[in-house]
Amino acid sequence: MASLELRNIVKRYKSQTVLDNLSLTVADGETLVLFGPSGAGKTVLLRLVAGVIDPDEGKILIGGEDMTDLDAEFRGVGMAFQNFALFPHMTAFDNIATPLQAKHSSQGTIKTGVESVAKLLKIGHVLSHKPRALSNGQKQRTALARALVGSPPLLLLDDPLRNVDAKLRFEMRLELPRLLADRGATVIYVTQDYKEAMALGDRIAVMSQGVVKQLGTPEQIYREPANVEIARLFGDPTINLLDVKPARDAKGIYVGLSNVQVHLAGAHEAAVGRDCVIGLRPEALAFVDERTPGAIPVTVEAETPLNEKIVTLVRTVRGREILVSRPSGTPGQSEGKVYIAVDSKSALLFDRTSGERIGSKNVVNLRSGEAA
Amino acid sequence: MTAATIQRNRPSGFRISKRVLPYLLSLPALLVCIGILIPFLTSVVYSFQRYRLSQPWARQFNWGDNYISFFTDPKFWNTLQVSLLYAGITVVLELLLGLGIAMLLQKRSTLNNFISIMLLMPLMTAPALAALMWKLMTNPGFGVLSYLASLIGLQDFRWASSPSTALLTVVLVDIWVYTPFIMILLLAGLRSLPTQPFEAAALDGVPRSFVFFRITLPMLTPYILTATLFRLLDSIQQFDIIYAMTQGGPGDTLTVFQVEAYLNFFQSTNVGRSAALMIILWAITYFLSNIFIKNWLRLRERARGQA
Amino acid sequence: MEHTSLLERILRGIALALVVIFFMFPIVWILMMSFQTNETILRIPPQLVFEPTLANYTALITGKLMTAAGTLDIAFMRNLWNSVFLSVTSVAVALLLGVPAAYAFARHKFRGSEDIAFTLLSFRFAPALLVLLPLTLYFQKLGLANTYIGLIWVYQLICLPLILWIVRGYFEDIPADIEYAYRIAGHSWFATFRKIALPLAGPGIAAAGLLAFIFAWNNFVFALVLASADKQPVTVGALAFITSSGIQYGQISAAIVLSITPTLALALYAQRYLVEGLSLGAVKG
Repeated sequence: MASLELRNIVKRYKSQTVLDNLSLTVADGETLVLFGPSGAGKTVLLRLVAGVIDPDEGKILIGGEDMTDLDAEFRGVGMAFQNFALFPHMTAFDNIATPLQAKHSSQGTIKTGVESVAKLLKIGHVLSHKPRALSNGQKQRTALARALVGSPPLLLLDDPLRNVDAKLRFEMRLELPRLLADRGATVIYVTQDYKEAMALGDRIAVMSQGVVKQLGTPEQIYREPANVEIARLFGDPTINLLDVKPARDAKGIYVGLSNVQVHLAGAHEAAVGRDCVIGLRPEALAFVDERTPGAIPVTVEAETPLNEKIVTLVRTVRGREILVSRPSGTPGQSEGKVYIAVDSKSALLFDRTSGERIGSKNVVNLRSGEAA
Repeated sequence: MTAATIQRNRPSGFRISKRVLPYLLSLPALLVCIGILIPFLTSVVYSFQRYRLSQPWARQFNWGDNYISFFTDPKFWNTLQVSLLYAGITVVLELLLGLGIAMLLQKRSTLNNFISIMLLMPLMTAPALAALMWKLMTNPGFGVLSYLASLIGLQDFRWASSPSTALLTVVLVDIWVYTPFIMILLLAGLRSLPTQPFEAAALDGVPRSFVFFRITLPMLTPYILTATLFRLLDSIQQFDIIYAMTQGGPGDTLTVFQVEAYLNFFQSTNVGRSAALMIILWAITYFLSNIFIKNWLRLRERARGQA
Repeated sequence: MEHTSLLERILRGIALALVVIFFMFPIVWILMMSFQTNETILRIPPQLVFEPTLANYTALITGKLMTAAGTLDIAFMRNLWNSVFLSVTSVAVALLLGVPAAYAFARHKFRGSEDIAFTLLSFRFAPALLVLLPLTLYFQKLGLANTYIGLIWVYQLICLPLILWIVRGYFEDIPADIEYAYRIAGHSWFATFRKIALPLAGPGIAAAGLLAFIFAWNNFVFALVLASADKQPVTVGALAFITSSGIQYGQISAAIVLSITPTLALALYAQRYLVEGLSLGAVKG
């Protein structure tokens, strides 16, 4: 219902640049996840869009309209805060009703509006409570209800699941996408949790130190991370990173892993002869027969069954530790000497000094041209 | 449709810019300040003038004469001496007494809390009225304190009416009014101290005097400094108690700065000298208050950090 | 503290008793005197047991004092009314001026805001007569001498810094996000100030107002310099009373009791906030 465009946004606090010439476009109805460590500038960005703080430079367009100089109350966005920011002196009902009251809706409209959104978020029974009488989960839902009630075309959600317990977070992670899709609103969702980012985002913008490092679909971010840092942030267990120096022979580009030459199908020519880091996702490794080409001998150190998968810690003959993951119920070795093989297509090569990924398939960076 | 919604919400008519707003909000308060700044500057001008209300025609700039004359003026030295003496004695005694009482009341109990609330009452009494209360009690004819003094052999003890005991008497009133101030500040300080160092010291059998001088006092220093400077600033400017009790007398025993300036203005109508006195007092308090504000800000930040 | 010996506890008890006696005695004694006739007061040794009389209070309230020499008019009720009027109005004005300014200082770190706040604070510490003496001359020229308006304006010297600094602290304690949330919900800054900031800082504003009231009530020098008899509050009035009526000690005591009762009552009522307020929030928490 409303697209968002940020043009060359700069925000400084004293001498520190929090957002550095940032540009970003979010399409109508899209859910964009801002992902990154704390201090990356995600929250500041949301507040700039909401209009409660002003950028030092740049323009903010909502629905194609320049709103840079407009106060928050005229922007018509909805926002949920990480710490909920509920009004402590008002009941949950009055909290949720504030956006409708601002529109001077009739008492009846307000009542219907609040009750329907409360029902949707399952807090209908606590509407008469003050925030201090609500559980964290109820507070979070109240905050969300307040953001949703006015059906704002642009919804800003600042890590709304940060301060709720694991069970509730899991529930909401399932519930939210449907909820947001039903609304049809454009959503910017801030999170530090990569699973949340993957589950909710149509696209993910990975932020660090005030700039967007990578912008792409969850798939792209996972498969083709722009650098080592992003590769490390996405994925559980964490990606295996090993120092290598790719070389080439008649069969193509290969790296040496524990004295075994492993040929990489997707590797880029530029990697040859450079000091690199190879990134191997635990699920891109598999236990194999000793006769498989490229099989690497390792020793099983420990095995950890997680819910839907089993993670094995193995040690190479050179003493490097590697994590291997396989779906639960598939056969595997839980001790002793075994062999593993690399799914050569999904191996990632990064420059060791810059950390940038070396790859031909630069779709990601092309897509995020305006963010680079 | 959305664009239309946003359009309708557009601001219309009178709207205050975000930049102007804070100035606008503080403007009335600022105007009041300016109204006060003007007389301050006038005081500076007066202090450089020969200006007597009784001889308005003879008003002229005499530049530093008012100040220079102070050097050879025993009345001025008396004023300075009495002011410093009064401030020094009251602050030291109140500090010792206040600290002692705060430590007596440190433990939270119903009785202690009740007493500390009771002790607020002298502080909430107008100092001028407190002086009158003591004046009644020290009346040589029927005052209960004069009677008590006579019981311990001090026949015809003159309290504020005798030059030798006048200072003592006003100091006593000052102590009565303001010790509770230091007490509640230090009590708040004491009760906010972390308990671990004290528990550790108690476990190790460290002597109590050592605990007091090496743990309690250092940790309490910011509070003591705040309380001291607060009181010092007020005490050196004391007017209410002294004026209500003795009008600066007997003679010029108690002509502290503000009393002397008041008398100069309204009795001798010597505006120039009065203004010069006030400027000197202001210089002293400005110096003290700068130290104070710095220390106070640090304490405020600290308290805020803990909250 | 657990291992206190009996001796120590006894000494502590005695010390506390002495403290309580010293600080409470004057108030109790004056209260007793206010219920005594002049005859009983003048008796030596002072009487602890006496027949209480309300005559002193009746005299004050009716404004007529019957003496052997004749009837004397007492204007004390006028002083009491002046105190109430001056204190209440001054605090109201100070709140009206100070609360928005405190909000501006707390929420918008605009240029010069710290300097202005400090200038205001420094008034708390400047000698009162420094400003008052020239002001008397100005007030005569402006026709403000001996007017309520002039006095209320000068009383801002006491009330405004107090309110500004205490209330500012309370505004700063409100998380900015809460106000942001209300703005984003579509409300103007003024609505946010009224519906969010003011209610949440309410207890602080009330406490600052109470303290300002106490300070205004207890002030002596401003009215001494700027007001004549018909505008004088109790602090100055009581002094004048003592000089004019000489030996009417019972009435003087009753006047003192009536004059200190409002502030003592307020202080007891709001004692929770006093520590914070008296130190301008320096020992908050």
